[in-house]
Amino acid sequence: MSLCDSIGGSMLYINNLTKNYGSFTAVNHLTLHIPEGDLFGFVGPNGAGKTTTIRIVCGLLRASGGSVRIGSTAAAVGSKEMKRMIGYVPDFFGVYDNLKVREYMDMYGSMYGMYSRDIAKLTDDLLELVNLSDKKEVYVDTLSRGMKQRLCVARALLHNPRLLILDEPSSGLDPRARVEMKELLKNLHSMGKTIVISSHILSELSEMCNSIGIMNRGQLITAGRIEDIMQQISGGKRIHIQIASGREIAVRILKEQVGVEIESVRENEIIILHSGTDEEISAFIGLMIQNQVVLTGFYREEGSLEALFMQLTGGDAQ
Amino acid sequence: MKLRWNPIVKKDLQVAARSMRLSWGLFAYEAVLTMVFLLALAIIQQVSGSFYSNGNVYGRLIYLFPVLSIAQVCIVALIVPVITASAISGERERQTFDIMLTTCMSPFSIILGKVGSAVLRILFFVVAGMPIMALAFVVGGLSWSYLFYFVLTIILLSVLSGSIGILCSSICRRSITAVILSYVFYFVIYVLTFFPMLLEYLFTTGGWMGESMLFLLFNPIIFYEEFFMQLMTGESLFGVEGSNMARNGVGFLTYYLSQGKVWLFSSAACIFILAFLFMLAAAWKVNPMHSSSGRRRKK
Repeated sequence: MSLCDSIGGSMLYINNLTKNYGSFTAVNHLTLHIPEGDLFGFVGPNGAGKTTTIRIVCGLLRASGGSVRIGSTAAAVGSKEMKRMIGYVPDFFGVYDNLKVREYMDMYGSMYGMYSRDIAKLTDDLLELVNLSDKKEVYVDTLSRGMKQRLCVARALLHNPRLLILDEPSSGLDPRARVEMKELLKNLHSMGKTIVISSHILSELSEMCNSIGIMNRGQLITAGRIEDIMQQISGGKRIHIQIASGREIAVRILKEQVGVEIESVRENEIIILHSGTDEEISAFIGLMIQNQVVLTGFYREEGSLEALFMQLTGGDAQ
Repeated sequence: MKLRWNPIVKKDLQVAARSMRLSWGLFAYEAVLTMVFLLALAIIQQVSGSFYSNGNVYGRLIYLFPVLSIAQVCIVALIVPVITASAISGERERQTFDIMLTTCMSPFSIILGKVGSAVLRILFFVVAGMPIMALAFVVGGLSWSYLFYFVLTIILLSVLSGSIGILCSSICRRSITAVILSYVFYFVIYVLTFFPMLLEYLFTTGGWMGESMLFLLFNPIIFYEEFFMQLMTGESLFGVEGSNMARNGVGFLTYYLSQGKVWLFSSAACIFILAFLFMLAAAWKVNPMHSSSGRRRKK
């Protein structure tokens, strides 16, 4: 089941969303439903329409058509009710000179109508969560980029939103800061937050996210659980069988199996595509061993998000 | 109900208070005011002969009040648009405006906060200039309440100037363009409000002015002229009970608005309404849900 179909228990509903800039269509009839508690990765080349979609959801841009809904509420995009449900972390973190971390949090808390006493308590907890407890009295503009980004996440969580949206959170961060950001997001996911991340760093997304949506030229090409998409796209699991002797017998056995397609036969290796179950795999491997085929190795190839992305976007450069 | 600060006012004042710009601004403001004071004092002395002559120098010292007030009005009129013209465009340049818009603050609250913080910053300057202003009062002849009225008019002028600045800031992407546009707006309000009168004068016969003077209700220059006229002489620009204007020379509304202090209060109300409309327009402009098609965002 794709994410476009999973309406029950969804957190974010995007239906038929369209955004036109004159004759240019940035988002073209996008329909996407993100289940509650998901860590969803939004992937696509530059100009695919990811940021435009995110900005529409956050109420920063008016859609030309379609609708956006969060949870079961019927609040309009850009309404106070909707804004209370979203925590937004933009791709670029602007700072104010002469404002301390504590004051920064206090300002944004006040903007959500929270009282200073509540903000102060939550600030302590959130700064601890993002590992910035010792920076409370430090001026924001003196923080490193990674710290600023984590502070921005803390700020976005201040009003306890149901949905956290991050637009390219790792862009411009050094490797260490990226790892810290990734850990933070995993941590938030484990706490049950629904998170949407738009990113170009596919390896990072594949490690973090449990579902993804791939956009290209304003359209959603596919969306769903990463493993489901991999399976769906490759048409089966690619399996490498390494053989010391008995290659012909092995090929004959494999040809007799239903759901097995031989992709290549090398001197010591046979690569097959298999669309069946794990039990079927163990059955034909057992059959080969019974027929005196000497196996030296056997492994299933893990699909990469990069390969999938290139395949789906037709190799569009990022 | 607990009253709460607009978070933007609080933040802007916090940030401004820690900046050297506020200290230097205060210093420059006081320096200019002191220079005006000394220059005015020197002129009064010259006009009255000397302190030891029979010239009534003390009587003339009360003119320090309008001189210093006008100096302050000019400074305020010049600097408030600069503060507010960079308010929204500055947030955009820093890329903090988007985050602000995703919070529960309405665009009008954001605009109000920006204008409010500009007015409060200006009040720092005006209050700091009070001791110099007070020197005009030591010789008597003026009521201390005039200082209070003057501060009220400064607030009104700051709100108008601030609303012009914020509107330009919401229209322009860059702060410098917004500042230039603010002064263009000033020109339109300060100069073009005289145009209907000029047209009436040129194209009608018999000196009939109609209601063309009503546009001057929006002109802060005329407002201040009337304010100082009322304060210093107790009379109106239009003479006692509008005696400078023939009943049949102007329209009905103009005639009745020129009676007593009515013009002053009507003008204050008009200026305030104009400022409010400018702020509403700015809030409309910054609201992403109201922009017609949006603009493609440059990365």
